[in-house]
Amino acid sequence: MRLRHLCWVLPLLACTGVIEGRPALSVSEAEAVGVSGLRRLTRVELDATLKDLVGEPQPLARTLLPPDPTDPFDNDYRLQLASTTLVDSLEELSRQAAERTVADPARRAQVLPCLPTGAQDATCFRLFVRTFGRSALRRPLVDDEVERFMPLHALGVEAGSFDVALTLALRAFFQHPEFVYRVELGRVTSQPDVVALTGFQRATRLSYLLVGSTPPEWLLDAAAGGSLDTRDGAKAAAWRLLEDVRARNQLERFHALWLGYHRLPHATALTTAMQAESDALVDRVVFDRSADYFTLFTATDTFIDATLAQHYGLTAPAGGAAGWTSYGGAPRKGLLSHGSVLSQGVKFADSSPTQRGIFIRNRLFCQEIPPPPPGVNVDEEPTAPSPCKKNRYQAHASVGGCKACHDTIDPIGFGLERFDRQGRYRTTDDGLPQCAIDGEGDVDGTRFSGPAGLADALIASGQFEACITTQVFRYAAGRREDERDRAFIDRLSKQFIAGDRRFLELLVDLVSDDAFAFRRDEEAL
Amino acid sequence: MKTRLSRRFVLRGAGGVAVGLPLLELMLDTKAFAQNTPTPPRRYLVFFDGQSLGGDNDPRHNDLVPNTVGRNYDLKSALQPLGELKNEVSVISGLRIPWAAENGGAIPAGGRRDGFHVSTVSPLLAGVRSSASTAAAMGPTSDQVVAGFLAGSTAFPSLAYRVQADWYLSVSAPYGREFISYRQESSGRITPVPAQVSPRQAFNALFGNFTPPGVDAATRARIDFEKRSRKSILDVVRGDTERLVPRLGAADRIRLQRHLDAFRDLERRVDAIAPPETSACVKPMDPGADPSIGSPQGNDGTNNTYAQNLGYSNEEQRALLFVDLIHMAMVCDLTRVATLQMTMFQSHLNMYPLTGQATDLHELGHNGVPGGTMAVSRGIAWHVKHFARLVQKFRDTREGNGTMLDSSALVYLFEGGHGYDPEGVKQNSSHSTENMACLLAGRAGGLSPGQHVVAAGRHPANVVISAMKAVGAPTERLGEVSGAIPQLFSST
Repeated sequence: MRLRHLCWVLPLLACTGVIEGRPALSVSEAEAVGVSGLRRLTRVELDATLKDLVGEPQPLARTLLPPDPTDPFDNDYRLQLASTTLVDSLEELSRQAAERTVADPARRAQVLPCLPTGAQDATCFRLFVRTFGRSALRRPLVDDEVERFMPLHALGVEAGSFDVALTLALRAFFQHPEFVYRVELGRVTSQPDVVALTGFQRATRLSYLLVGSTPPEWLLDAAAGGSLDTRDGAKAAAWRLLEDVRARNQLERFHALWLGYHRLPHATALTTAMQAESDALVDRVVFDRSADYFTLFTATDTFIDATLAQHYGLTAPAGGAAGWTSYGGAPRKGLLSHGSVLSQGVKFADSSPTQRGIFIRNRLFCQEIPPPPPGVNVDEEPTAPSPCKKNRYQAHASVGGCKACHDTIDPIGFGLERFDRQGRYRTTDDGLPQCAIDGEGDVDGTRFSGPAGLADALIASGQFEACITTQVFRYAAGRREDERDRAFIDRLSKQFIAGDRRFLELLVDLVSDDAFAFRRDEEAL
Repeated sequence: MKTRLSRRFVLRGAGGVAVGLPLLELMLDTKAFAQNTPTPPRRYLVFFDGQSLGGDNDPRHNDLVPNTVGRNYDLKSALQPLGELKNEVSVISGLRIPWAAENGGAIPAGGRRDGFHVSTVSPLLAGVRSSASTAAAMGPTSDQVVAGFLAGSTAFPSLAYRVQADWYLSVSAPYGREFISYRQESSGRITPVPAQVSPRQAFNALFGNFTPPGVDAATRARIDFEKRSRKSILDVVRGDTERLVPRLGAADRIRLQRHLDAFRDLERRVDAIAPPETSACVKPMDPGADPSIGSPQGNDGTNNTYAQNLGYSNEEQRALLFVDLIHMAMVCDLTRVATLQMTMFQSHLNMYPLTGQATDLHELGHNGVPGGTMAVSRGIAWHVKHFARLVQKFRDTREGNGTMLDSSALVYLFEGGHGYDPEGVKQNSSHSTENMACLLAGRAGGLSPGQHVVAAGRHPANVVISAMKAVGAPTERLGEVSGAIPQLFSST
């Protein structure tokens, strides 16, 4: 068993065996194992988890807990900071979730594995702690742990109510460190600081990445049975999770966070319509058609309702309801033409070519833009003799120290200028009909026009697959990459290209990779 | 028994309500919440305004600092909301935070790097220089230092609240601009104290376990049972957390230890008994649901891009509620130390709903609307209005032979001043730490408010140190800055 496990998780090792019962890694293999730390469930993950565990329909975590730091993903554990505010709100959340569960007969029945004979029924209480504990803490509980819940049973006895004990136990589980955090103690290996994940810990990683929630019972059973200890087993589990409707929500959300449209600064109806448009395209490319992922950026039709059609100046789909419609002759193509993405890089008054340029560099080229050099007041409004935006920005960016950097940013934004801060097409500056917009852009020497042209340039750059893979890695790992992760990301990127860029294949490759089966302790914060 | 309030409670209990052991417990425990004692506890508050005092290229450095020095100073537009409360508030002007370029390029003690944004975090709040380009205090901030000697056994050693509910930019994150309180962990590491932004949650934490006076025995028994239940739950969770900590790697141990520290703090508060209601200490009105969080900046499709719920989460209402909560928490001696961050450093709060100015607070300093320094002053005045309301509530609360102000030091800090910008090599810039100012209210420790004090060349931390000294700090030092400002204690 141990050897079989070792063979698949350590193919590079060629199964050299086990040392004193511990998986053996060479120094160089261990060097390639990425770090991972305690990850607190995000508010969205916590709400999904409560829904799955106890049927909670309300977004309690989003209502009660402090917001998750978002940059751009909401699950970067290195930005998470425990505080009095957090712990207090978790207590309140646990109380509400527990009381609401026990008060609802159907939900109560869902969590109880037995029919209690009365407040005194310690057997049923222990069975509940054991079974619910496995779901909530995502691992089996040992006897001692079950016994530690018995003072809560005693309070139920005092109150003459089994449900009181049940409520208190649920409250304890919802504040438990192994519920709130994903704890990956793992098993020691031959290398200090590197541990091999257990089947339960792999199940947890798979589930939170692919469906954004706690592992379902069948997955915990698979973990217990050892079937996640083979690469094929992990792959099969991943594919099964991806059939779940929640996988669609999860991947829609990944894209919304990546490209910044999980929140939009528009009236509710417009925001909803724009998000629905982008979600529909993600669903179609990634799930329904399992198409080349680049189709997401080159699609020639889009999913809009009458309101959005009018907003964009496109033909509304027949029948009045939202549906797919062709762009026809409109200069649009794929996700970058959506109002959701074109709403990025906006200041109050207008789209900002600089901010849009930084956004494209950061999110789609995975490049960090250095902050402006000393001596630059970035807050000064670009001014020039001409009121036209392009002249103003060019005057601004031509100043000595500014030019070099702005030349790599602003031309990208200018290529998108024919689309305003809400994604509407325009040919002149807002309120300045004398200022024609040429809509011509440049990225690293490639000239382009509009979001459609930018998508082509991005694809032609040869760097796009690596950036997509990097963003997926960040979301999966809950942190930014470092040098140790380079080989893993390169490997995934190559497989992505070789497999004709199927996004789900990328995810399955990631979760079944050896690198996903180990972790390294962080030395310090 | 030192507390007089318990007598009130005994009378209530003797008035016929069946009272068992819990009352006895309560009477013993109320020592922690001594109020109306011969000497009221001292209170300390830091109020923060994330902006500078003047507008770019405007030769007028501010419209805040009075023309006259000393008492009965004239009220400029930024301070208009003080009204007659100016007799309770001192204005300290002429302050500056030194920078690297004037020190041969090396950041001086208590100074900042030449770049403006977030470079004042550490010297302003902790008195320590910082070369980091990110927002982070390099030492514990004054509220945490004060809590160390002032908190005693209060339920909340300190409170950290923030009014601005969100960063309001969709393409970036605040990266530390949302913190004004930093504490030193037992490991020596300096860590931000994240602020509560939900008035609803703050209300629950402070007043959730208040027992309405005169409840019947059954209700009292139920409340007692709930308290014992919470303790048992927390006991299970703490036990499992304590067993887990030593099994983790180095960084995770620190993370979970932080969680555990906050958890123990919660446990301690559950153990404490809520203070009984008195004529002054009463459970505030339930604030109801929090105002919804506004969208990031952008355009909502209407003609007025600022009028809607963009970059705004009803900060007006949030400020009113947090001021009420801080006041009552201090009246009831639930806490003696608080920070109230009205706006973040480099704040992108939409000012239109607050002042009618179609811009965000940060752009106000950069001529986002015409008016230069006068326009900036309207943004300041909004903050001052809420500071004045806090001061008024303290003054209107009788305590012993005086008011709550007699035992308090409430200090108001700005992110910047106005003048020379060493980064942009420009005069009359909002990116400057010349010509800074602070406000200080309260009479604790002999503070004598109501003066305009010109403290030319002194550091804003010298005002902070004066406030700390007023509430009993054992040293006149904060980080690398030392010395109080004697005039603030002078009654002449």
